[in-house]
Amino acid sequence: MSQDLAEVYRTTYRALVRFLYRKVWDAARAEDLAQEAFARAVVHKPDNARGWLFIVAANMARDDARRAARERRHLTLLKAEPQTSESGADDALHVESERTHVRAALEQLSPRDREVLLLWDAGISYEEIAAQTGLARGAVGTTLARARRRLVEAYQAGQRGEHVARG
Amino acid sequence: MSHVDDGTLHAYLDGELTPAEAQAVEAHLAQCPDCRGRLEEERALIARAGELLALATPPDRALPPFRSGDVRPPRRLWWQVRLPVAWAATVLLALGIGTYLGSRSAASWQRVVTDQAGPVPAADSVAPVRSRAFVQRAVKRAPPVSLAEFSLDSARALLGREPVVLPGAPIRALRRAHLPGYAAAVVIEQQLDSGTVVQLVEGRRAEMRMDAVVAERVAAPSAAAERTRAPQAAAQAPAPIRPVRLVDQLEVTISGPLPLDSLTQLLRRVAPLKAQSVTGP
Repeated sequence: MSQDLAEVYRTTYRALVRFLYRKVWDAARAEDLAQEAFARAVVHKPDNARGWLFIVAANMARDDARRAARERRHLTLLKAEPQTSESGADDALHVESERTHVRAALEQLSPRDREVLLLWDAGISYEEIAAQTGLARGAVGTTLARARRRLVEAYQAGQRGEHVARG
Repeated sequence: MSHVDDGTLHAYLDGELTPAEAQAVEAHLAQCPDCRGRLEEERALIARAGELLALATPPDRALPPFRSGDVRPPRRLWWQVRLPVAWAATVLLALGIGTYLGSRSAASWQRVVTDQAGPVPAADSVAPVRSRAFVQRAVKRAPPVSLAEFSLDSARALLGREPVVLPGAPIRALRRAHLPGYAAAVVIEQQLDSGTVVQLVEGRRAEMRMDAVVAERVAAPSAAAERTRAPQAAAQAPAPIRPVRLVDQLEVTISGPLPLDSLTQLLRRVAPLKAQSVTGP
């Protein structure tokens, strides 16, 4: 691995895992895919490794989701609904439940809004986001504003729904 | 100037406007209380969205060593053959045709090539044009895109307060940084003398649960990767401990090619930019 790519690995690996995790929702799988993306970067030696990695990772996550959907078509995808009614004091479960809520909120965004939000959160600049998503650079801020607002609203709606359900 | 739209406010708060655009926004904000109110709302929204995303984060582990053993050469389709290979194939093909045509006169390889260069336009006129276009494209793509460089004003907007700097040291670079656990963070590089640059990383913490914060800090140094990089790196402290200071609600850390106690002393001198005059890069 070249010095440059080693540096990109050091600075970008975690952001890439985070980005992938929010697509596949499985930490081990996200790490595998991130490693695979870097392995491909070693072979391809792209000019802009960071941008390239996120494009490749997004494609891999999409393929992964398709395959997963094929494999467990008969299962409910979102089976991890909150199970915290008994053990609100259990921190691990609490974190898990919040994560489930954020995931549900993220999945209510349009694919493009979600992609822009996740890329931004992974440290990608507006300019690179525009290049990767095909948006005009001037539209990235508007898209991000909408994505953030919808994420917060969907999360709050989910919380309210749960409170109502709990009675 | 008409009111500032949401997209522009977000771009402004994200530090993604050009200095001229940011100035225009600030000029409008200065005389429009409505937009100032919206600015604060959008700032809170951005922070909240960042906090929610931080909840959807995989358990942080130390940076694993790069598994180079996993590298599988990807399948390459015929139109994705690497350029050098394509050129080599073209040259071989040309030589082959040349040998075939030139076989009657028992010409040397040299001869064949020069013979073919004249009459066949493909070798001489087409190739340079194509390679020039290729180089131009390569040059266009060349600038490596790293963390966005931006202005002090943008840093101010992003942090929601005065950036904290070392008084008197010229600022060499200013970047937005994404750090897990921080709602907003910037990196400021300052030149101490001709050979020494220190890096200040400062940010506002996202409201996170304490254990998550602790886990981040444990994993942060990425010692494994650092050690594989160079023998000098291994000679240094294996887990770089960075001094941290809280200034005006900003967490500030410092790093640079200096001993830890010097860095700690420098960190004691940092202060909000406000009254200081600092020369730009």
